Amino acid sequence: MIEGIILHGILSSCTFALLASGFTLSYGVSGIINLTHGAFFMIGTYFYSILLDVFSISIPAEFSILSLILPVIASTILTGIVASIYYRLTLHQILGDELATLVVSISGCIVFQQMIYLIFGSLWGMQLPVPELLSGNITIWNVSISYSRVLAAVTSFCLFVALWLLIATTKTGKAMKALSQDHEAAMLMGISTEKMYMLTAAISAGLSSIAGVMIVSSTTRVGSAIMWLQPLAISFAIVVLGGLGSLKGTLVGGLIFGFSRTIVELTVPLGGAIVDAVPFLILLCVLVVRPKGLFGKRVEMED
Amino acid sequence: MHLLEVENLTKRFGGLTAVGNLSFYVDAGEIFGIIGPNGAGKTTLFNLITGYLKPDSGKIRLNGEDITGLPPHKIANKGLARTFQIVRPFRHLPTIANIIVALNSPRGKKKIEWIKTAERKAMEMLEDVGLSEMMLEPAENLSHGDLKRLEIARAMALEPDIVLLDEPFGGLSPIETEYMVKSIQRMHLDGYTIVIVEHKLQALMRLIKKVMVIHYGEKIAEGTPEEIAENQKVIEVYLGKAI
Amino acid sequence: MVVKYLRKAYTNFATYIYDIPPRMLALLLIMIFALLPMTRALDSSTLMMLRDASVMAILAASWDLLVGRTGQMSLGHALFIGIGGYSSALLFMHFGWPVWMVIPVSMLAGAVVALLIGLPCLRVKGSYLALLTLAFPLLLERAVYYFRDVTKAEEGIPPPPRLPAFFQGLIRLDARIAEYYLTLSLMVISAIILYKIANSKRGMVFVSILDDELASKACGINVTNYKLLAFVISGLFASLSGCVAVYISSFANPSFFGIRWSVLPLVVTIFGGIGTIYGPIVGTYIYYFLDMYVFRKIINISEWHYFGLTWEYATFLIFILIVIIFILKWPRGIARAVVEKLEDLEEARPIEELEQKMAKAD
Repeated sequence: MIEGIILHGILSSCTFALLASGFTLSYGVSGIINLTHGAFFMIGTYFYSILLDVFSISIPAEFSILSLILPVIASTILTGIVASIYYRLTLHQILGDELATLVVSISGCIVFQQMIYLIFGSLWGMQLPVPELLSGNITIWNVSISYSRVLAAVTSFCLFVALWLLIATTKTGKAMKALSQDHEAAMLMGISTEKMYMLTAAISAGLSSIAGVMIVSSTTRVGSAIMWLQPLAISFAIVVLGGLGSLKGTLVGGLIFGFSRTIVELTVPLGGAIVDAVPFLILLCVLVVRPKGLFGKRVEMED
Repeated sequence: MHLLEVENLTKRFGGLTAVGNLSFYVDAGEIFGIIGPNGAGKTTLFNLITGYLKPDSGKIRLNGEDITGLPPHKIANKGLARTFQIVRPFRHLPTIANIIVALNSPRGKKKIEWIKTAERKAMEMLEDVGLSEMMLEPAENLSHGDLKRLEIARAMALEPDIVLLDEPFGGLSPIETEYMVKSIQRMHLDGYTIVIVEHKLQALMRLIKKVMVIHYGEKIAEGTPEEIAENQKVIEVYLGKAI
Repeated sequence: MVVKYLRKAYTNFATYIYDIPPRMLALLLIMIFALLPMTRALDSSTLMMLRDASVMAILAASWDLLVGRTGQMSLGHALFIGIGGYSSALLFMHFGWPVWMVIPVSMLAGAVVALLIGLPCLRVKGSYLALLTLAFPLLLERAVYYFRDVTKAEEGIPPPPRLPAFFQGLIRLDARIAEYYLTLSLMVISAIILYKIANSKRGMVFVSILDDELASKACGINVTNYKLLAFVISGLFASLSGCVAVYISSFANPSFFGIRWSVLPLVVTIFGGIGTIYGPIVGTYIYYFLDMYVFRKIINISEWHYFGLTWEYATFLIFILIVIIFILKWPRGIARAVVEKLEDLEEARPIEELEQKMAKAD
């Protein structure tokens, strides 16, 4: 039992942390709380499912592993492009106006949602069948876990680390860090906010999209036009738990989220139904005591 | 018993000590001035006294009662009102409504004598500062000088035991400054205790009998305007060390 | 006093266009709505549309009080529809309570939930609060599925009998028309109450919180309590909305408090004029008119299948796109833009008259 909790907890924490990392990046660098984060989760997954069909037809059987990897990469890039266009057209115009940003981003979510309805026409929309390559389970410590879950978790972890390295070492990453710490000083240093914001929007959407592919293809396997709401709520919960604007905090938040979910799911009878509620209750308690979250950089309360 | 007593007040922000071990007191009926170079900690001091910041150590007493760490609205209701350095009117409300809001607080409600309504009382306050023509204008249409007067009227609506004015002369023209000086003098004659933080020393020195000088969050001098003007430390702080 | 200011704006609008004082205008509109069914110009589906619009108008107005007047953003108002709806459906299904008992209790449930949620959440501001509120309808959904024996989850609870029998018998009206009047009167009453609250002295305090919380605190106002008050009042009326919705149309199942009903008040309020209370109401009717009447009846959009797309879902999309464009062009809302434009015109009037006089004198 304990092994199951630990394993499943770690596995889900990885993917959730990846999901939330985009959200925290977007806030940290551009100060925008981007409600469309969940929408890109959804769009990425839809792109993936379409491309999966496209690629599996056109790639010969020997390279079938590519038919899995290419759609992931392609859908991520596509989502990133959509995100930067969306950002440039809308959020960029109203930077600093908090109400307008909220309205526009939630409206953007609905726009994407309705567009999915428009194109796919029904409530359900998308199915992701298990690819043959990834079927089957692996047994660790007497716990049977599906390959796809392990792969998803490992990939997410690697990407999270890659993001961390990006921010810590590359010039672009340092520019992002600078923007998150002191906006004006960064501008004075010659960092172009316009470009950086667009890039951040693209990267965070890309992260969200991969997280979407990972999470959906290893768990529920179905998508719908309204699947953007949950990832958004989850990202928010994780980021608040760990503190807005801090990657370290996002990791911690992801762990808390993943583990609390797993514990409830595996121990409480019928726990599966309320699995999502538990982290939120934790979040509410944290908020009452410490609105900054555990590692928060910016104070979100007055005074 | 002093009306306002500040004892060993300290506030640190990270490594910076904004206010360090500051003590002073104000007696009823006084006009007390606080001056000091920019960044000396004057506004932080105000924020600490009025409850917007919590001190790291020290005590603040109003009428003998310990108000350290109380939230701003409770402090206001106990009789300590303030104005803000950068005016903070309620933009979407008409001028008179700005005052009526203050009259909706527990203390404000008590201050409306039983025959009058809130509107009547608010109109009186506006008359006191000469803004009654602007009664129905949304506050966002008022000029800077008018807004400064509105700030004061709003603070006075609570009939506070002591009122803290944060740079009341900021951005005022000479005529407006003169008007403000007269308003403050009238407030003093009515019996109000006033503490003023100000940069415009000429205007300030006409009003106050006692002044405290702050530098880097610490009190470096206290006394009458004449004493302060001759104090060596004060001159150094404002003009730099003599070569 | 705020009434006078808003009336000034509204008067500019009304007198410039209609030359009628605004109170008369409102009364006129209510009379038109009241007499509409008598003219037999409306068929069943239009009556249903107006009925639904009335119910949602209550929701929108309650949202506006909280967001437009007090400045506390809520993206989860659908929660209250769920609370109101489920409480009334459950009370009827399990205990058989009559309408006049169910409605007040549902409203109370909404108020209590608002209080419980508000206590931890209203401490944070702006976007943080918005995201928190976003999560609550999800939590309710989880709760509904968890207690599925009681709530029958997706299957839903069938709506209670359309209207209390005696009401129907008394007026001897067709059920649809009776519903129409019932919802219309509820809307009018709620609108009047909300409007009066918004323009009372309490309402002024709400606006002071919207404008400058710190200054409000300096005036001795317990800002936290007022925020809670606004939230509770909002929850009260929003759950009334949900309660009535269950009676007239929906099965009480999780989809009837979906994200759409959280975004609709937002969209409709921006469109109609944020903070006005009457603006969202007008906006709701316009939305329903566009969606149900123009798109479905006149253009018959459900039949469209150009490009293989299901255009039926386009109506909401179009409305949202319009809102996005409006926000980008007029960040302070179109009602303000319209009012400002009219004030400019109003000021220009005397000059035009003067020019005309001078032209005549030549």
